Amino acid sequence: MAEWSGLHSSTSRHTMDKSITLPPDEIFRNLENAKRFAIDIGGSLTKLAYYSTVQHKVAKVRSFDHATKEATSDELYEISVQEEVTARLHFIKFENAYIETCLDFVRDHLVNTDTKVIKATGGGAHKFKELIERKLGLRVDKEDEMTCLIKGCNFVLRNIPHEAFVYAKHADSEFRFQTTQPDIFPYLLVNIGSGVSIVKVESEDKFERIGGSSIGGGTFWGLGALLTKTKRFDELLQLASKGQHTSVDMLVKDIYGGSYGSLGLTGDLIASSFGKSATADKEFRCYMAKSLLHMISNDIGQLACLYAKLHNLSRVYFGGFFIRGHPVTMHTITYSINFFTKGEVQALFLRHEGYLGAIGAFLKGAEEDNPNQYSWGENYAGSSGLMSVSPDMNPMQRARSGTFDMLEMDRLERKLVNLPLLQDASSYIPDTVDLAEDALAREYWLYCFEEALDGVVKRALASQPDMPEAAERAEKFRQKYRHKLQTLRHQPL
Amino acid sequence: MAEWSGLHSSTSRHTMDKSITLPPDEIFRNLENAKRFAIDIGGSLTKLAYYSTVQHKVAKVRSFDHATKEATSDELYEISVQEEVTARLHFIKFENAYIETCLDFVRDHLVNTDTKVIKATGGGAHKFKELIERKLGLRVDKEDEMTCLIKGCNFVLRNIPHEAFVYAKHADSEFRFQTTQPDIFPYLLVNIGSGVSIVKVESEDKFERIGGSSIGGGTFWGLGALLTKTKRFDELLQLASKGQHTSVDMLVKDIYGGSYGSLGLTGDLIASSFGKSATADKGFPKEDMAKSLLHMISNDIGQLACLYAKLHNLSRVYFGGFFIRGHPVTMHTITYSINFFTKGEVQALFLRHEGYLGAIGAFLKGAEEDNPNQYSWGENYAGSSGLMSVSPDMNPMQRARSGTNPRHHCHHTKFDMLEMDRLERKLVNLPLLQDASSYIPDTVDLAEDALAREYWLYCFEEALDGVVKRALASQPDMPEAAERAEKFRQKYRHKLQTLRHQPFAYGSLTVRSLLDTREHCLNEFNFPDPYSKIKQRENDMALKYYQKVVKSLEELSWEERQFALIRGVLAGNVFDWGAKAVSDVLESEPEFGFEQAKRKLEERPWLVDSYDQWFERLKGPPHKCALFFVDNSGLDIILGVMPFVRELLSRGTEVVLASNSAPALNDVTNGELQILTESIAAMDPVIQAGLREDRLTLVQSGSSSPCLDLSRLDKVLAMVVRERKTDLVIIEGMGRAIHTNYYAMLSCESLKMAVIKNSWLADRLGGKLFSVVFKYEVPAAGHDSEALTPP
Repeated sequence: MAEWSGLHSSTSRHTMDKSITLPPDEIFRNLENAKRFAIDIGGSLTKLAYYSTVQHKVAKVRSFDHATKEATSDELYEISVQEEVTARLHFIKFENAYIETCLDFVRDHLVNTDTKVIKATGGGAHKFKELIERKLGLRVDKEDEMTCLIKGCNFVLRNIPHEAFVYAKHADSEFRFQTTQPDIFPYLLVNIGSGVSIVKVESEDKFERIGGSSIGGGTFWGLGALLTKTKRFDELLQLASKGQHTSVDMLVKDIYGGSYGSLGLTGDLIASSFGKSATADKEFRCYMAKSLLHMISNDIGQLACLYAKLHNLSRVYFGGFFIRGHPVTMHTITYSINFFTKGEVQALFLRHEGYLGAIGAFLKGAEEDNPNQYSWGENYAGSSGLMSVSPDMNPMQRARSGTFDMLEMDRLERKLVNLPLLQDASSYIPDTVDLAEDALAREYWLYCFEEALDGVVKRALASQPDMPEAAERAEKFRQKYRHKLQTLRHQPL
Repeated sequence: MAEWSGLHSSTSRHTMDKSITLPPDEIFRNLENAKRFAIDIGGSLTKLAYYSTVQHKVAKVRSFDHATKEATSDELYEISVQEEVTARLHFIKFENAYIETCLDFVRDHLVNTDTKVIKATGGGAHKFKELIERKLGLRVDKEDEMTCLIKGCNFVLRNIPHEAFVYAKHADSEFRFQTTQPDIFPYLLVNIGSGVSIVKVESEDKFERIGGSSIGGGTFWGLGALLTKTKRFDELLQLASKGQHTSVDMLVKDIYGGSYGSLGLTGDLIASSFGKSATADKGFPKEDMAKSLLHMISNDIGQLACLYAKLHNLSRVYFGGFFIRGHPVTMHTITYSINFFTKGEVQALFLRHEGYLGAIGAFLKGAEEDNPNQYSWGENYAGSSGLMSVSPDMNPMQRARSGTNPRHHCHHTKFDMLEMDRLERKLVNLPLLQDASSYIPDTVDLAEDALAREYWLYCFEEALDGVVKRALASQPDMPEAAERAEKFRQKYRHKLQTLRHQPFAYGSLTVRSLLDTREHCLNEFNFPDPYSKIKQRENDMALKYYQKVVKSLEELSWEERQFALIRGVLAGNVFDWGAKAVSDVLESEPEFGFEQAKRKLEERPWLVDSYDQWFERLKGPPHKCALFFVDNSGLDIILGVMPFVRELLSRGTEVVLASNSAPALNDVTNGELQILTESIAAMDPVIQAGLREDRLTLVQSGSSSPCLDLSRLDKVLAMVVRERKTDLVIIEGMGRAIHTNYYAMLSCESLKMAVIKNSWLADRLGGKLFSVVFKYEVPAAGHDSEALTPP
């Protein structure tokens, strides 16, 4: 709960100026045909969702009618390129600072829509209601935040393979993706925004907030700011990742000189968070940030475990801005869950966790289109990858693209289900080798695909000899795919 | 866990200088005979425990051997004062700063001990090991901290009535004490020291640390110090109690503009602790941050405790540790949090002697060969400081003196004491209680009833001079008696004053606890039985009338006799030195007789009158066995009770007479009753046959109080009651049937009889002086009990 943290003003103060030129080819794609809008405004980020139709060329094959005069041809069937219209969901995430620019852009590019309403959710929705209505000329229709969150979560868990992952800091691959479960229910969602909401989800429409805590991301941010005079959340996390908590925390060994064996407490266990601060003469900012991070992560971890046990749930997903894209907090939460459940429960994270509210709000508005009747697939071409906004993962990228993050999902023509003959659908993994875990194989195949790229471009061009602009499109393809391959080299996940 | 918080150096820095003169009469009492030692050294406080024997004067009665030449005396029995040795546990709590002074003092006063070992526990034990061994010449034997804590907790829960309480800040009485449960297990103990340990206790020896948290008292202290630059724990709490958390915390309404109805979250709920502090442009007042921190930590611990209680299906959750100890602020926030998270299903319970648990446990570990768990123990009110005597918050008068300027600490805040006497006999529940777990002996909780409290405290103060006079008169041959009597007066007056300010000092404040405290104080100064001579005179006088009374009853018709017997018991009960109105009359009119007493009695219908039902019952078959809790010496027992007993025996009902084990006021003691019954038997063949055929039995109640706690009775009594299939319980007298047990529900028929000899109480009950309460009750399972309640 409390995703929105009222920290908007401070966030925007620190971010760049608000007028930027949006590259229309890249973001807000297919706006002309956008049909339904939804927006989720959090404490610092806005997530905009829309549904649009895409005109695509598809290759069709057709038998020659041998009764007709063309039957003289030698060929068995003919190939034609046709236009097909498919449905696509677009999700764009940007800092609240750009909200005005983005709304202007949307208004200017909106052509064929007959939509009158935009669904809105998130704690910040009421704050920007007036602005949205004025800019877009759409009526803002507020949707319950928690309902949207859960709806979105159900949607991604069902439709995006490898949506959920386990985080393991010191493993060969930091992220271990989970295969999609045939039945996603029941699960526990721990949403760590300013505070913490712990929600038990039993079915598509049935969920309950079974617990919560006021010790959440806002506490880390707020107490952290008071203790370290650092007002930026990301900076606090950076401080925390450098610190040594043992000079601030009182450990079991500080009290007993070692472990407390009869109670099963190891010497390095934190007995009292900040337990040394009342007597310490020096204060180090990073030490305090680290101690604070441990304190909050452990506390949430313990609460999550207890609620999971009480309600007999083994799948626990974590989300909210405290988690979102921050390996540091994913690590401490994972550690805490392992500690408290002795490995019985795994902390799970979601690749598209930041979009859940927007997806949910969109789904609420699109219920007449029956989006749950179809299967959807992530469009890798139009989607940013995991972590592209995280400053910690890839220092090269941080400067460039912190601004916009995208997710596109194509509606598949047919509903996809398990092959009923699979021995165990829940443990089935289609792929033989996970390249993320196998560095040698990864190197080889990435190289291999790069090498093959020229040939692919050539073949693509040759397939459309009659189209003059084909060369330009082929070049764009080459660039896009090469960029994807490069990204994957740095971020195999 | 983690009671010791490594903050010793900072604590001592802020406390006064270390050399103080210890008043030996007051603290470290009975050191000469100290046998076993145990010490629990926490982060700031040391708790020392020792076991010692106490020589006490006790009054004994003995029949004269009428064959000897002294037989010329008129008196039936002789009274002698003898020395008796009893066992007592002493616990003293003081700041670590004084540890050296105290150890020196102990060494200098330790005379008769052959102890070689001191049991030690607490995180600080290893720090002071060398010092203790050097100063005392005892070997320090370390005991596991958690084991000691649990052992101590079990001990106080089992042995100290009103040990546990619920805290309710805004209620008329802040502390609601819980009655002792017959079965104390299982329970959850949440110990909030530097960190938090959550322990499930299943039996005497079986416990498990099922959870814990690093967010505890040390976090409050440490983060609080960083945020407010205030390094003293008490000061942080004081800051917190003054602050406004809403400027620091983000509330639900700060996010959603109001409540979040669909999730059931009210607008005032804290959504994010310190959630506003990241954006605030200016700093916050210290008070507000301290308050927010306190809420954050208390709520978190409360939620964890609830979850563990639910997971393990436990409904009793006790909180302790230095974060809680004596701090109403934290007791309040923890209670609030527990109520919030369990929607009232679980109550937060606190312990009066929580600070001593580790020391008690360590002591018990060392004393296992003395089998301390075989006995029952009782808190000695005379030697124990009350609850909260070290808390600066409770009593604003004290705070001004001792909280703000530590140099002006008065002695009683520096040292806190608990003394427990080993009771001669194991105490158990009366098997005939309808529901032992909900039984509350006392009729009025004076802590909750300000008017009644005022009255009774005044009443006991007024009576003090008389008690002192009588105590002195009981020892005419002892020259130092005057000095002891004066000490008694001062001590009891001081206790009354303490109780006026802190009505909860010894658990629920009741007429019973006031009476018991007076008895403890009298014993403390060796006035074991101030009424012995008066009782003796009255007994001798009453015996002379016995046969005459029995004869006149025999002459009545059956119907008339039944009524006359009841009137006799009631008239006898008018003689009660415990009631001021009567002691005035008795002292000014020594000839005030039995017949006059009858004339003073209220005529029927009495204030509470179920005589008709009782009479109807008598027409039916005799009871199998009656248990009779008797009251006063003299006319009451001899002319009132004995003829009634005689009638019961004649009907074929066995009778068990239960009297006090040790003196209290003019109540007849078991020793006296033995002699009296024998001499009545010599005159009365019915009583004689009863004794001979074992149909009349005398047992001791295990009590030495003018009141009666049916949950703490001699084990032998309980056994006899069971063996004889007792089906009638008779309780006589104001102390036993009105101040206590008025509402007690029994599983068999019961008769409660008393004459109200206090005009204030008479007023309260809607009657007048010498109004009669005659309450005959049949448990609901049978016929309608027609239980009458006071108007």
